[in-house]
Amino acid sequence: MARTRPVGHPGRSWTEERGAIPFLLPALAVLCLVSLYPLIQGVSRVFYVYRALTRQDVFSGFENFVLLFKDPVFFRAFGNSLVWTVVSVAAMFFISYVLATMLNSRHLRFRRFLRATTLIPWAIPGVVVSLIWRYMFLSSGPVNAFLSAIGVANPPAWLTSPQLALWTCIVANIWMGLPFVTIMLLAGLQSVEGDILEAAAIDGASYLQSQLRVVMPSIKKVILIVLTLEAIWTFNSFDIVFVMTKGGPGSASMTLPLYAYQNAFMYYQAGYGAAIGVVILAVLLLAVVLYIREVLQ
Amino acid sequence: MRMSVAKQVLLHVVVLAMIAGLVFPVLILVFNSLKTETDIFASPMGPPHAVTWDNFHRVLTDPRFATNLRNSAVVATATVLLSVIVTAPAGYALSRFKFRGRTVFSMWLLATQAFPGIIMVLGLFFVLKRYDLINRLPGLIIMHTSFSMPFSIWLLKGYFDKISVEIEEAARIDGCSRLQSLVKVVFPLAVPGFLAVATFSLLLSWNEFFFALVLMRDNAHYTLPVYLVRFLGSGGVVQWGPLSAAALLITLPVFVLFLLGQRYLVSGLTGGAIK
Repeated sequence: MARTRPVGHPGRSWTEERGAIPFLLPALAVLCLVSLYPLIQGVSRVFYVYRALTRQDVFSGFENFVLLFKDPVFFRAFGNSLVWTVVSVAAMFFISYVLATMLNSRHLRFRRFLRATTLIPWAIPGVVVSLIWRYMFLSSGPVNAFLSAIGVANPPAWLTSPQLALWTCIVANIWMGLPFVTIMLLAGLQSVEGDILEAAAIDGASYLQSQLRVVMPSIKKVILIVLTLEAIWTFNSFDIVFVMTKGGPGSASMTLPLYAYQNAFMYYQAGYGAAIGVVILAVLLLAVVLYIREVLQ
Repeated sequence: MRMSVAKQVLLHVVVLAMIAGLVFPVLILVFNSLKTETDIFASPMGPPHAVTWDNFHRVLTDPRFATNLRNSAVVATATVLLSVIVTAPAGYALSRFKFRGRTVFSMWLLATQAFPGIIMVLGLFFVLKRYDLINRLPGLIIMHTSFSMPFSIWLLKGYFDKISVEIEEAARIDGCSRLQSLVKVVFPLAVPGFLAVATFSLLLSWNEFFFALVLMRDNAHYTLPVYLVRFLGSGGVVQWGPLSAAALLITLPVFVLFLLGQRYLVSGLTGGAIK
């Protein structure tokens, strides 16, 4: 007999709270030491400013935040991070949804093989993905060679153009995220009963209507967790922009994690870097809270 | 529901085109690793005119590559082992026991996904410094484990949920202690879950770049992703041939292990999300 939640003998062993403690202790101890404590320590750095003259971190209250709100590069990076995340996640969701629907079709041959092939980008390190796409978008690289071949007169210099640099990085990020989103959506689609789709078809729903009104609502849980996780990972992502453009030209493709890194480890402004980190944390915790509210409803 | 032949053909064409888009960039990397530098820019997309192994030879004879490969292997192995050992009991507890703070604990696990790398690294910097672990592999192992744990616990909870309580209780009636029934009955059944966690933490650790970049200070301690980026940055013009060979060599070991472990990871991820 399969049970979704263990019950055991009511009032005994399984609900006994002390029984859980020894099992949880190792993980709790490690999490407190390497997750909770660094979080508190890290956040506390925002109250310190490094003075080059005395070579010391000095307590300075909210000075880092005051500086932050006067810094045009910070606002540029914030805007870029929003574009980077919203566009990446929206595109990943759209492309993956289409791909997952097709991979779920009974009429597709070699389904197992094709599904496995979809996973390939997942196993490739972020820095390698970045290198591949940096090469693809070189002025004399494959993308422009292709554009020239189909008759585009002056293909752009993607990575050094202030208008295009961020979008070029977004392409690489979408490519890297597709396997995870596709495989999760596919699993959701597989759990949808064929009956309800046929019922919708009999009721006269068009294909698009039945997707939007029947399929998507019934896999809402998967969609929510995938969008939340992917948004968090993308907002926090560092590798692609660091390797492809270093945030340039100027700060055209600067994102918050990269700007935080530069301040903390290249300009020795740990407090300022931490302040940017706190802004990232605030945005992402908001996303987590929204997700939890939606799920608990 | 039946589908017309034309629609079926269209379905296959679109799927193949999309999968080509996922595979083609990797193919270009393979081509470049086998080309000379002039060949790369003479035909940026096509296969090599004449296959050369010089690029691989150059990377494989670089002593730094061997050192950094060893570092990556040590860090990834330790991260995988630690992740499985520490998260197995926690995943079990989350699946079997009702305890106060259980919901808070689950939400905390999700929230850790949102912690920015910069905050964690600045915070841990002081801990690691106190124990002299900056620029040392154990420091990196700690960071990687801390990042793989929350997701791993969540994965394992899903696997333990699938193992029925009755089996365990039957073992207890037969005279096993709780620990014995756990080790002899439950854990062997949860092996696919451990493989899922191993695959996940292996990918995470082997591919991780940010912490390795920040915490490791010299060639002797770099891991392979940092090696690759240093390779890119050294000496003016980027040499795409050797760089592509290095990129492929870095990807290959984890790619093979991923192919072996992916079905456990996929069933773990998707099983947890659907329930």
